[in-house]
Amino acid sequence: MKKFALLISLTTLIFQSQAQVFIAKKCQIDFFSAAPLEDIKAINKYTTPLLNTLTGAIVFKVKISSFEFESALMQEHFNENYMESEKFPYSLFDGKIIGDIDYKKDGTYQVTANGKLTLHGVTKEVTVPGVITVKGNEIMINAKTPLTIKEYDIKVPSLYVKNIAETVDVTIDATLIPYIKKD
Amino acid sequence: MKHTFLLFIMVCIMKCTIAQDLWSLAEQTGPEQKDFTTATFKNTRLINMHTVEVLGKRTLDFRISHRFGTVNSGIDNLFGLDGGASIRLGLEYSYDGRLMAGFGRTSYQKMLDGFLKYKLVRQTQDWHVPVSITLFSSAFYNMQKGITINNEPLYSKKQYRLSYAHQILIASKLNSHFSLQVAPWLLHYNIVNNTADNNTAYGAAMIARVKFTKRQAITFEYGYRMKKTIEKGYHDSFGIGYEIETGGHVFQIHVTNSFGIVENQFLTLTNDSWSNGGVRIGFNISRVFTL
Repeated sequence: MKKFALLISLTTLIFQSQAQVFIAKKCQIDFFSAAPLEDIKAINKYTTPLLNTLTGAIVFKVKISSFEFESALMQEHFNENYMESEKFPYSLFDGKIIGDIDYKKDGTYQVTANGKLTLHGVTKEVTVPGVITVKGNEIMINAKTPLTIKEYDIKVPSLYVKNIAETVDVTIDATLIPYIKKD
Repeated sequence: MKHTFLLFIMVCIMKCTIAQDLWSLAEQTGPEQKDFTTATFKNTRLINMHTVEVLGKRTLDFRISHRFGTVNSGIDNLFGLDGGASIRLGLEYSYDGRLMAGFGRTSYQKMLDGFLKYKLVRQTQDWHVPVSITLFSSAFYNMQKGITINNEPLYSKKQYRLSYAHQILIASKLNSHFSLQVAPWLLHYNIVNNTADNNTAYGAAMIARVKFTKRQAITFEYGYRMKKTIEKGYHDSFGIGYEIETGGHVFQIHVTNSFGIVENQFLTLTNDSWSNGGVRIGFNISRVFTL
């Protein structure tokens, strides 16, 4: 009987633990550079962040070549000359969400995410403020952070300093749903 | 008690696995997306020859191609810079980034050209597809007046002014510094000057780019003629160039033995040779606009 009880509790735990992992239903990462000569915008819709609500662990794996620009040439330059996406195909964020969040209750929570951001082969500790909205089964994540491109060893030739901002804004807008394992 | 302890251990193990699993899950769950190789070449042309590249989406390219006189014309002619120049002005566009169309006019032989280019196969970064293949088709209309051969007008009918070029461009970006392209070509002239000349000629062209900084490259091109239009007195086209990219511009400066700028001129009818210094300095400027 005791063994049976144990089995039951374990099974419940397994189910619970599965519901702790949330995966993006949709996610949009925007990149915006405002410089005197031109504004540059790019959108990446091909990222699926994952969140573990039990531990607060959050991961992003962003494919650099998936950023779409208005101009094809800008996109080529972004990949070829600045991000070197053949050498560094992904940008990674491995972090933890800090803040009091009750994922079972609907509401909006101000949080910060602390963690390691890898960009252009350079890894840095970052703190990103953001908002988490819980609504039923869904978790919405909104965050905006400035990134100083020099810190990530991305060089802008002096000829283009008026075209590319020293600090670019990265905006994250994601909707996550419980992860169900597909076999 | 024993069971509770076991349960505790189990929960701990599970928690650990979950934290680690986020990354392995991230590996599995990312959307399937093919990574195509970008910028096998920096421009749709290398020197004279077309590269496998087509313009990006909704991109308009305004091109100026200029060839000076021959270097062996000496100091009096400032090694060709003083004169005997040929220029092509061109306007080219792509809506979807796969199919592009362009037209231009070359001052040498008053040659009007129009072409279509379609990127059929795209190389992928994981080398599942090792090459990019682009199809190229062009038509030329010679607008010169009063051309006579043995006192007979050469262009007695309008269609005699037309000639055509077709190419299959096959290129591979072998690494971020080196790209290579091989392109079989076929040319047809509706009329040739002499009965001994061939209306149809074919061969293969080879081009290469060695990129030595992010924005600068050395380029080579060579056009081999297997079946010639005119058997004697003409040479294979060979050029060496330097290209630099600055934002929306690509500048290409080069030395080539061809005076003509379009295929029906330089592939078959290059009448100067490298061996006697019959080479020319030339440049291409490409300026793109997003429309």
